Amino acid sequence: MQTPKEIGGIRFGLMDPETYRDMSATKVITADTYDDDGYPIDMGLMDPRLGVIDPGLECRTCGQHSGSCNGHFGHIELAAPVIHVGFTKLIRRLLRSTCRQCGRLALTDDEQAEFRSRMQRAEELSEDWSDVMKAAVRQARKAKRCPHCNEPQHDIKHEKPTTYYEVQDVLSGEYSELIAEAMQPDEEEDREGMAPQELAEKTDIDLQRVNQILSGEFRPRKEDRKAIEKALSIDLTVEDMNKLMPSDIRDWFEDIPNDDMETLGIDSERARPEWMILTVLPVPPVTARPSITLDNGQRSEDDLTHKLVDIIRINQRFMENREAGAPQLIIEDLWELLQYHVTTFIDNEISGTPPARHRSGRPLKTLSQRLKGKEGRFRGSLSGKRVNFSARTVISPDPTLSLNEVGVPDRVASEMTQTMNVTERNIEEAQQYVRNGPESHPGANYVKRPDGRRLKVTEKNCEELAEKVELGWEVNRHLVDGDIVIFNRQPSLHRMSIMAHEVVVMPYKTFRLNTVVCPPYNADFDGDEMNMHALQNEEARAEARVLMRVQEQILSPRFGENIIGAIQDHISGTYLLTHENPHFTETQALDLLRATRVDELPEPDGEEDGKAYWTGHSIFSELLPDDLSLEFSSSTGDDVLIEDGQLLGGTIDEDAVGAFGGEIVDTITKVYSETRARIFVNEISSLAMRAIMHFGFSIGIDDESIPEEAGEQVDEAIENAYERIEELIDTYDAGELESLPGRTVDETLEMKIMQTLGKARDSAGEIADDHFGDDNPAVIMARSGARGSMLNLTQMAGCVGQQAVRGERINRGYEDRTLSHYKPNDLSAEAHGFVENSYRGGLTPREFFFHAMGGREGLVDTAVRTSKSGYLQRRLINALSELETQYDGTVRDTSGTIVQFEFGEDGTSPVKVSSSKDNDIDVDSIADRVMDAEFDDEATRQQFLGREEPPTNLSEHAEPRLSDARAPEVESDD
Amino acid sequence: MVDVSQHKLVPEHTLVDEEAVDEVLQEYNVERTNLPKIKRKDPAVPDEAESGDVVRIVRDSRTTDQAVVYRLVIE
Ligand SMILES: [Mg+2]
Ligand SMILES: [Zn+2]
Ligand SMILES: [Zn+2]
Repeated sequence: MQTPKEIGGIRFGLMDPETYRDMSATKVITADTYDDDGYPIDMGLMDPRLGVIDPGLECRTCGQHSGSCNGHFGHIELAAPVIHVGFTKLIRRLLRSTCRQCGRLALTDDEQAEFRSRMQRAEELSEDWSDVMKAAVRQARKAKRCPHCNEPQHDIKHEKPTTYYEVQDVLSGEYSELIAEAMQPDEEEDREGMAPQELAEKTDIDLQRVNQILSGEFRPRKEDRKAIEKALSIDLTVEDMNKLMPSDIRDWFEDIPNDDMETLGIDSERARPEWMILTVLPVPPVTARPSITLDNGQRSEDDLTHKLVDIIRINQRFMENREAGAPQLIIEDLWELLQYHVTTFIDNEISGTPPARHRSGRPLKTLSQRLKGKEGRFRGSLSGKRVNFSARTVISPDPTLSLNEVGVPDRVASEMTQTMNVTERNIEEAQQYVRNGPESHPGANYVKRPDGRRLKVTEKNCEELAEKVELGWEVNRHLVDGDIVIFNRQPSLHRMSIMAHEVVVMPYKTFRLNTVVCPPYNADFDGDEMNMHALQNEEARAEARVLMRVQEQILSPRFGENIIGAIQDHISGTYLLTHENPHFTETQALDLLRATRVDELPEPDGEEDGKAYWTGHSIFSELLPDDLSLEFSSSTGDDVLIEDGQLLGGTIDEDAVGAFGGEIVDTITKVYSETRARIFVNEISSLAMRAIMHFGFSIGIDDESIPEEAGEQVDEAIENAYERIEELIDTYDAGELESLPGRTVDETLEMKIMQTLGKARDSAGEIADDHFGDDNPAVIMARSGARGSMLNLTQMAGCVGQQAVRGERINRGYEDRTLSHYKPNDLSAEAHGFVENSYRGGLTPREFFFHAMGGREGLVDTAVRTSKSGYLQRRLINALSELETQYDGTVRDTSGTIVQFEFGEDGTSPVKVSSSKDNDIDVDSIADRVMDAEFDDEATRQQFLGREEPPTNLSEHAEPRLSDARAPEVESDD
Repeated sequence: MVDVSQHKLVPEHTLVDEEAVDEVLQEYNVERTNLPKIKRKDPAVPDEAESGDVVRIVRDSRTTDQAVVYRLVIE
């Protein structure tokens, strides 16, 4: 690939107004854009020296045409300086920390030296230098007088966004009245009067002087003022605000010496503070703000151009008024207006400033709005772009595909292409693709000649073009079966959200995938859409195949066990196949295994009515590796025993073959290989589907019903609970309820009621449970872990139970009651959201309402959780994105700072290490397995282990000596 | 005052002498300032450590028995 320009480095700083003028192609003085003939006006905003957008015109600066000319900056000479909104905080800091008279930083030399060394240290440790700067500003602001010229310093008030005042406490003009009033007795405020004599004594001022002050003849000095204020507890000052015009600030900043700036961490070579006050405004090139021609032939200008028009107009009015000698008030108004336009040109979303609007009322999108936010230049155009060679459509399931595959609609396959380099080995194939044309499926869309010309393959020219294809050409052929593509479902929260699949081209319009890859993508088929990306070079295809293929992602780095495995009906299927170990005839057994590699049955397990039969266990065992031995307990509750690839007992359910840590899948992946695991999972899902179809599996409303006597028992259990609650409430009302430690009586009562109701629901559940048969499909699903729980089932058949909001019984609604149907302060179960009915029996209206309250909380929680976790994810990714594991095993950031001396402090991958403490790695058996695979005969194996010296004929002395030969084996210590 | 270094959850922090520091820096091919940092006021840091020193922290690890980390002491 070609690099247009190589970036050596980036430096951020302020720009010198002289540089603005130097780089400017022209000064812009008129606010007009085009003349009546549609030609750009000279020295206007569309001046052809700023670049061209209309095709055919020539750039007056570089001579190139639109497309090749990137555009050139112009400039506007501002009639008066204005503040750059992007730097208001820094301007405030500098005003507060430097001297109003001499411009020096109001720090003593010692203080300066200290902050300098702190700044240096911060840089060395790559810490945030702005903390040091803030501290220096804080320190300098404390100075009442400049340590260098002794000028008293004023406080600076910043009125957002761009106005600064110097604030001084000065004596109020009405000081004599204020004092006199405070000396009068006031009954309302319960104050005694004070005679001038008394005041003079209290303040230590001459009585004569006091009288002079009282008559307004003499303005008290600061010390006297403070004494009087204290004696009478009044405030005699008013704030005197002196507005600092941008020109004043500019003059002030020009005096700040370079050395003092360094203490604040500002490099004056690159950023003189006075450059934060604009005197020249750069005009972005025309290419950055192109005008569009509407259908009716009218031109519509870019928002930036509109804003620049405003700026030039006000700039001109300002100049005209000043030359005409307009009053100061008018000049100041125009100055403020100019400031507003320049401010909104830079940022149109400043709080406290009304945004500049389009005629239609839409706020203008100015410079900062182009950069900020999700759709801005950084997040929208640079970090994220729309990509070529990608496709998106709805997904649907296809159990006949391998988990590594994806079904791609033919219309997608003929749009996405792969580049074929034509060689003598594939030339015929390549020609055939071209011959097929762009419309029939394994065809080609483009060819590229060695001279770089790209030719489109059409239905008309395909025959002809095919003959022309020669060695060295490139053919862009359609996707075909076996190509590797990347497949993704948003939100891409973990690495298994993006995996590589092999293409299987199929009819119709959806992507097809095997249901076992639903857990890693968190996909279902209720309308989910997924993205596909066709890879465009050999390197990418190789990486995808080796690292990203689905089978390589079977183990999750999150918990170190398999995330791909049997789900839902697969699990019900294996449960039915193995739980009661049913018998199958030869036909049935072969039918179950028809979608697997097995085409010969093992020896039958026995004979029944003169016919051979096979058990579910031995059919399942056909899929296991021959030497697999395992022992674990199933989620159904029995112990599963596998010896030498034969299932000897136990039920195969979620704990055995399920996604999220199914024992057999996990073991096969870790002990055998990813490929073996892929085959196993594929075959298990096929076998399970066959099995569930063999037995038949459905669920209906009658499967949740319980006999009448069971219903009566449930009612009785609930009735008992109600009685106990009544008793509790009675004890409470009598004031005899004893509170539990650390709780109030009210809380205790609430807890006990909750407990009683919880128990009632549980016993209702148990009763219902007792009446369900073992062949009940809902029970099978719950026991095997396929879907649902016994709790779901008892809520359907027995009793739904207590509804809760914020972990408590429902207590909200009306004053002292939840609904107007109840008496105030009714503590009973039904008044606080206990649902005694079952889902199947149906809820009463009031129960339904309480149930909706609890349900709503759940929905709100999920909504809040997803948005919160999405933001958290973004922040985490931004924080960690630059960390990288280096070849020496350390984890470092881009500056080379070590974050971890060894990846994860142990240098191990979470998928290659045992996930739990009690399931430790069996090093011995792994070592044995490796040795068995590596060495065929015992002798070389012993040699490798160092227990036997290899024979040598170099010298007799090199042979093991007699004494060594018999040396006892050293016990290894682990 | 509680001596946190005696607490079982506080890993061992020891001061590294200059020679050993150079070895560590050489081994990882880093500047001193590229080491992870620890505040001098951190209660786990040995009392005699000054800013600019390097401490070795040895933690127990389930997978590697011991995980060793070096940190630069800063103000
Ligand atoms: Mg969905
Ligand atoms: Zn140009
Ligand atoms: Zn001064």
